[in-house]
Amino acid sequence: MDELTSAFVNESRDQLVAMEDGLLTLEQNPDDKDNLNAIFRAAHTIKGGSGVIECRYIESFTHKVENVLDRLRNGEITATGELASVMLACCDHMGDLLEVLVAGRAEPPADLKAKGDALTTELSTRYMNEAVAQPAKDGVPVEQVDDVVASGGGAVTTEAWHISLRFGQNVLRQGMDPLSFLRFLAGQGEIVSMETIPDAMPAAAAMDPESCYLGFEIRFQTRGKKADIERVFEFCRDDCTLNILPPRSKVSEYVALIESLPEDNLRLGEILVRCGALTQAELDQGLGLQGEIARRIADETSESGEPAPPKGPPIGEILVEQKSIQKEVVEAAAQKQATVTEKRAVEARTIRVQADKLDQLIDLVGELVIAGASASLLAQKSAKTDLIESTSVLSRLVENIRDSALQLRMVQIGETFHRFNRVVRDVSKELGKEIELVINGAETELDKTVVEKIGDPLMHLVRNSLDHGIEPAAVRVAQGKPACGRVTLNARHDSGNVVIEISDDGGGLNKEKITAKALERGVIQPGQTLSDAEIVNLIFEPGFSTVEKVSNLSGRGVGMDVVRRNILALRGTVDVASVEGQGATFTIRLPLTLAIIDGFLTAVDKASYVIPLDMVVECIELDADSADRTYINLRGEVLPFVRLREWFEVTGDPPTRENVVVVQCAGRKAGIVVDQLLGEFQTVIKPLGSLFRNMRGIGGSTILGSGEVALILDVQALVNRCVKREEQAAHAGNATRRHEMSLLADHA
Amino acid sequence: MPKTIFLVDDSTTILLSVSGILSKAGFAVEKAASAEEALKKFAAGVKVDLLITDLNMPGMNGIDLIKQVRTLQAYKFLPILFLTTESQQSRKAEAKAAGASGWIVKPATADDLLNTIKLVIK
Repeated sequence: MDELTSAFVNESRDQLVAMEDGLLTLEQNPDDKDNLNAIFRAAHTIKGGSGVIECRYIESFTHKVENVLDRLRNGEITATGELASVMLACCDHMGDLLEVLVAGRAEPPADLKAKGDALTTELSTRYMNEAVAQPAKDGVPVEQVDDVVASGGGAVTTEAWHISLRFGQNVLRQGMDPLSFLRFLAGQGEIVSMETIPDAMPAAAAMDPESCYLGFEIRFQTRGKKADIERVFEFCRDDCTLNILPPRSKVSEYVALIESLPEDNLRLGEILVRCGALTQAELDQGLGLQGEIARRIADETSESGEPAPPKGPPIGEILVEQKSIQKEVVEAAAQKQATVTEKRAVEARTIRVQADKLDQLIDLVGELVIAGASASLLAQKSAKTDLIESTSVLSRLVENIRDSALQLRMVQIGETFHRFNRVVRDVSKELGKEIELVINGAETELDKTVVEKIGDPLMHLVRNSLDHGIEPAAVRVAQGKPACGRVTLNARHDSGNVVIEISDDGGGLNKEKITAKALERGVIQPGQTLSDAEIVNLIFEPGFSTVEKVSNLSGRGVGMDVVRRNILALRGTVDVASVEGQGATFTIRLPLTLAIIDGFLTAVDKASYVIPLDMVVECIELDADSADRTYINLRGEVLPFVRLREWFEVTGDPPTRENVVVVQCAGRKAGIVVDQLLGEFQTVIKPLGSLFRNMRGIGGSTILGSGEVALILDVQALVNRCVKREEQAAHAGNATRRHEMSLLADHA
Repeated sequence: MPKTIFLVDDSTTILLSVSGILSKAGFAVEKAASAEEALKKFAAGVKVDLLITDLNMPGMNGIDLIKQVRTLQAYKFLPILFLTTESQQSRKAEAKAAGASGWIVKPATADDLLNTIKLVIK
């Protein structure tokens, strides 16, 4: 895709978003002129751009959309919910067409074309019925009748056109040089002769040097048509007096011309003779005719009596009307100016940067972090105080640069959230439910990559809430809830994470149904006891779906397990809490960024492992008593732990003193037992190759200052594993205890 | 010394395409994405030989821009062309009254564009 096309695509995507936003507010505010104009302008810009890049299918479709919007803007049709729906569908279609363009296809595929045709038919039959009957022709320059039939007697026998031109006084003030017209005209053909008419020039005292008083009589030879000559003077035609006589015009036409011009007839006649338009004989004949014509006209007027009264409204009425219009226009303009300048002021402070440039910067900063760490390490080794000091200053600066660079990638989640306005509107209409969307924390910022990738899972969860969460209005009213359901999108920062919540005030998740389904699908085993929270979170297990009927919205073969997998891929988590009858809340936790984290460096044997610092709660020493258990007593709390040594099957004996790093993830704590604690460490996350994709417990890798590779632990997986094992152990423990009891009973 | 053309349009597609055509034709191009930005440049005394502006822009529209430019002594006689479409014929008169020299009807070919420019500057 060339630069221009990609600029067009980017711009059009923005315009489509603006158009959609506008259409959504249109329903609530059908009379908002600014909004209507903004919608129109968005469509107009897309159409204009598509014309420039010569993408005809977008241009022709958008043109039809624009026509309807124009009528809407002019108050010829009114904004209804249906119109908004059709227009939104058109927006979608334009988006699809853009994708066709992006894919580099010359034409949209047949089904898309059919869809577009259906939309345009709907537009033209429902909203353009009048305009279809009479195509907009007003103002379009109509091709003039060029061919003048040479009619023998009385025709002037010169092959040149005659151009008679009197410039308007404003021509200079409009930035036009009269000479430039003549120069341009000369480029279109040959100026045979030209006479300057300075008659309009007033006395020097009365003359305004900024006004133009000149006129010209020009003989001009060209192969072009009259329209071509007219085009030369198009820009001044309204202000100046322009008469063009084709070659072989009749003498009477010249006479009419002489008559119509303000200069003295005889003098003008002479000028025409001088420039070769007429011969003296023709002039004499013509001026003789003149008297005849004048007589005829006089006869006609006397026959018809009084001249016909002027048509149309009296001028007073027009003036009043104009005044009232002007007042409104002025007010609206003033208001618009105020709001728009505010918006502009904000916009002016932002610049668009291509995302890959930022990625490159982040990469470099990553390398800088590593190089900085390496320098610090060398400084430490050298034990030179001043060197250590200067590298520590450097490290601090690098840290700041890293934070600022990452900040550049941060975008507000608001845009993603606002997309759901449309989704909620469409889906609630489709389902016949009344649902409102409440958005909180739209200004919460997170990494652009994360924002891009969270869209799909969010969409699924929101649709799920709309489809299954919110009950039909009748059911809601029966339960004493307001008929209008509510879905809330909430975003906030929480200790190095971004938390996104999707909550609804619907019926909540049905635990019995979930348990039954989970048993049926083999997700859980009979007799397994689960807490309420565990039961509702079963919906994220692979192969789980409670939908009996696959509806259009959710259950398109994409289950909740895919949602979870997508979120896990972003190093995030998702869980659900539900209160029966009051609604459900899905909570997504995401890391702020994917690229660089603050890590906590540990070592097992000779290898280094990094634990994301956000998750580290504290570090304690593993006392010898707990050495053969899988849990410790942390101030009266049971803390399960996992030994990295075992997990990664490191051979050799553990050191006499082992350490436990207490980590917390999604509200659950666990311990990770390592040999050594090496301290805080800035980490650039490098993805692992596909070879390691299936390795559990490792989330990525990084390069240490020494050049060695350290593995970044997937704490989530480790914690889950710990907790699970602990639960199994608890079950098994219960069983053995029961067994012991029965033995005791036997003895008794 | 090439002639400088000042291009004002809120559409990056138009800015990019038109400036491409102009620079290929040997003009220097000055750009602004809004009337406000353009006025700032005018206030700073930007040296241009021709202004080409869109009429329909968010914020200040092209007509007001033309009016404003005409109030500046240095640009009293600056040739000004505006971009318009077939459907906006009624605005032509308005723009002319505001002091525009002429117009370019979108969509225009490169030849249309250059021809029109030739009409207003040497």
